[in-house]
Amino acid sequence: MTGGGLAPETDHPADRRPVLEMTGIRKSFGGVHALRGIDFSVRPGEIHALLGENGAGKSTLMNIMCGALSDYHGQMRLEGQVVRFSSPHAAQKAGVATVFQELDLVPGLPVADNLSLGREPTRRLLFLDGRRMRRTAERALAVVGASIPARTTVSALRLGEQQIVAIAKALTAEARILILDEPTAALSAHEVELLFDLMRGLRESGVGIVFISHRLDEVAKVADRVTVMRDGRVVAVLPGSTTPEDLVPLLTGRPARDMFPARTTVRDRVCLRTTDFGYRLRRPSASWREPTGVSLTVREGEIVGLVGLLGSGRTELLQAICGAAPPGRTLGTVEINGRTVRLNSIISGQRQGIGFVPDDRRRDGLVPTRDVAQNLALSSLSRLSTAGFVRRGRQREAVRWAFEAFGIKASTPAAPILSLSGGNQQKVLIGRALLREPHLLLLDEPTRGVDVAAKADIYRLVRSLAAQGLAVLVASSELPELAGWCDRLVVLRDGRVVVDVAPDTDPALVLASAGSATPPDTSPQERP
Amino acid sequence: MTTETTQTVADLAPPSVRLRRRLPALDILVRFQSLLGLVLVLVGGLVFSPRRHGTVLFLTVDNLANIVRAVSETGIIAVGMTFVIIAGGIDLSVGAVLGLSGVTVATLMVTHGWGTVAAIVVVLIAGLLFGLVQGAVSTVMRIQAFVVTLAGLQVASGLARMVSGDKFININYGHGHGLAPPSFAVLGDRLFGNVIPVSAVVFVLVGAVASVALNGTRFGQHVFAVGGNERAARLSGINVRRVKIITFGLCGLAAALSGVLDAGQLSFANPNSGTGYELTAIASVVIGGTSLFGGEGTVVGTIAGALLLGTLNNILQLNNVNADLQLIVTGLIIVAAAVLQNVAARRRAT
Repeated sequence: MTGGGLAPETDHPADRRPVLEMTGIRKSFGGVHALRGIDFSVRPGEIHALLGENGAGKSTLMNIMCGALSDYHGQMRLEGQVVRFSSPHAAQKAGVATVFQELDLVPGLPVADNLSLGREPTRRLLFLDGRRMRRTAERALAVVGASIPARTTVSALRLGEQQIVAIAKALTAEARILILDEPTAALSAHEVELLFDLMRGLRESGVGIVFISHRLDEVAKVADRVTVMRDGRVVAVLPGSTTPEDLVPLLTGRPARDMFPARTTVRDRVCLRTTDFGYRLRRPSASWREPTGVSLTVREGEIVGLVGLLGSGRTELLQAICGAAPPGRTLGTVEINGRTVRLNSIISGQRQGIGFVPDDRRRDGLVPTRDVAQNLALSSLSRLSTAGFVRRGRQREAVRWAFEAFGIKASTPAAPILSLSGGNQQKVLIGRALLREPHLLLLDEPTRGVDVAAKADIYRLVRSLAAQGLAVLVASSELPELAGWCDRLVVLRDGRVVVDVAPDTDPALVLASAGSATPPDTSPQERP
Repeated sequence: MTTETTQTVADLAPPSVRLRRRLPALDILVRFQSLLGLVLVLVGGLVFSPRRHGTVLFLTVDNLANIVRAVSETGIIAVGMTFVIIAGGIDLSVGAVLGLSGVTVATLMVTHGWGTVAAIVVVLIAGLLFGLVQGAVSTVMRIQAFVVTLAGLQVASGLARMVSGDKFININYGHGHGLAPPSFAVLGDRLFGNVIPVSAVVFVLVGAVASVALNGTRFGQHVFAVGGNERAARLSGINVRRVKIITFGLCGLAAALSGVLDAGQLSFANPNSGTGYELTAIASVVIGGTSLFGGEGTVVGTIAGALLLGTLNNILQLNNVNADLQLIVTGLIIVAAAVLQNVAARRRAT
């Protein structure tokens, strides 16, 4: 291990011998070196957070640990024995359990059936032994301390409960290592707490946990050790208590503030004003947090950040403003450029000059069967065509503008969209919204799964458009990003605006008002 | 260190690297699978064709005209089906709509004394509406297209029997009661020195218009987007419902046109005509490289797929291969086409 920035390893839980030890792991795909010599170890009874931006090599390392990749260089030892897993199944048998982000549960089957999937107990060689299956399930659920009835169908469970069932399924009797791949990504704050309790309980029983996450605040809360990866290397191994502020520069490779462009002048004209705005779904859903009594403004040239924990209603608020929400009823008023508007569909929102970039790129943004240029032009085809015929020349020009403005890196505009990196895919989607020349741009988690360089590009581009008068409302789960990028922050909690603050406000205070730790001890304060 | 690196590249490059070099050829194969298949089948036709007095029967004008005639009906339907499938749907009603349209156009002329143009236009509009209604039921009430059009199949074939009294309707040409206008007979003619069947000309026109509509228009782009990722299409401001409904309308229109041609070519209308055409049409679309998952496909591929199936059947018939074996061969070709597509899709995913 060479290279600077390597912090000394701390002597955390009692210097126990690592249960899993990886040394000099290297792996390349084609000409791309994904891992350039990784040392990584997990001790029994520790929660070891693995951090890294997208493309840092986290997933590759995880795939090697869990047996999904078997052709790599270097050595992996499990309890001293050199191992090389040929499949995830082999890894699980050896004691390395993995819970992938995509839970491998069958939604239509009961919990019990899921827990013995593939090794169902039978009577007389043929008939399912339901009773034994339920008993096994109850035992497995007891291990993770969950009070979930084994007969419940998985699809009827909340996401957090499903996550716990998935953990129970992965944790066979011989499990000594548990790998959790971004387990909190889709959980509510309360569910995250339950998951952490479960993780702490497992730690007590001696299981070594590898915790992969993007949420730096969570890491500080639960991890004993943190390994930070960047560009296929380990850049630091730190104690779990390391603060997000100290982690960010390690993750990105540069001081946090260099990422963000200088702020520009905010104009006086208000572009978006909501007054006591709310949205009631026609069919209420537990997973959709209805915005309630939201009053906020976004001025021309202003970038406003929506802060809030998962489940605070950030996404829902953006959807309701732009007309993308499920069918329902609007309460209060929305004004765009001083005119009260009724937005009941994406199309009506677009007509009012609202551009929206959803958070889930794969699900809601990309059309995988179309090329880069076609994906870019998707929202603005009417501007690019005459009498229904798409004008090739105009389309080419628009695509070229987007390529230059964003620095989209694609071999050609005709390249398949999925061949692009996450960052470039995101640039394409933002470009798609911008090609309509909106007055107001709504961005939901615009940098999720985006590499550092592309993040900086996105910050810069959106800022330069704001300088020309674009109003931007951006939701993100990363407070440092919003603090560095935005002109003003609006904190949401339970679908309501709780405070409206300047971006340089003490992060602890902002997080507190978002409800992450202690309840807010300050009354909501208004800033111009 | 340096030696190690060299070794990595030389010996231990993952298989994907070595594979990648071969991929362009595979890409071309998949892209033009139906055209290549068609060429293969045509060559096979020449080789295996029976000869009589030194002439290759396969190549005679009559035989080729027969192929094109037969293909044009399922082919036109398949072109309409291409839109539906690219948008992520399916239409099982087309064969029955063909039968219904045939007996309707015949009844209008023979029993009700309508003129050719009026009868054809009304039937085409009816086919369009039939498709639009199916599309509307499917999208607005959120019922799978498979189910809605399966019901549509039953409804259309029931209507066809009602209209015809469950009998063949003979179309005799002339002026007066019980006769169809002679101009309708044009549909069974051959043009350009008695060589090219009218139905073939119609087929080519339909294909050309459809190809331009799919690739050159806003609507076509929307069809691809809706089939490729419906949620993304909606969030991009595309009226997803409208796009889907229109594809069903176009497909119904194509089926009605086929029904009119069928009646014109045969000079009689059979309420059971078109039975099973939906499957031939879907097969043509799949062989043509269009994914049943939606989002990609070409009209040219579909046309080639339809010609491939028609030519293959013709060759087998010329060689007196029995009809059962023809079905088996068709089935195998469909599987082969699907496998090739799968390979291509997997490649794209990585």
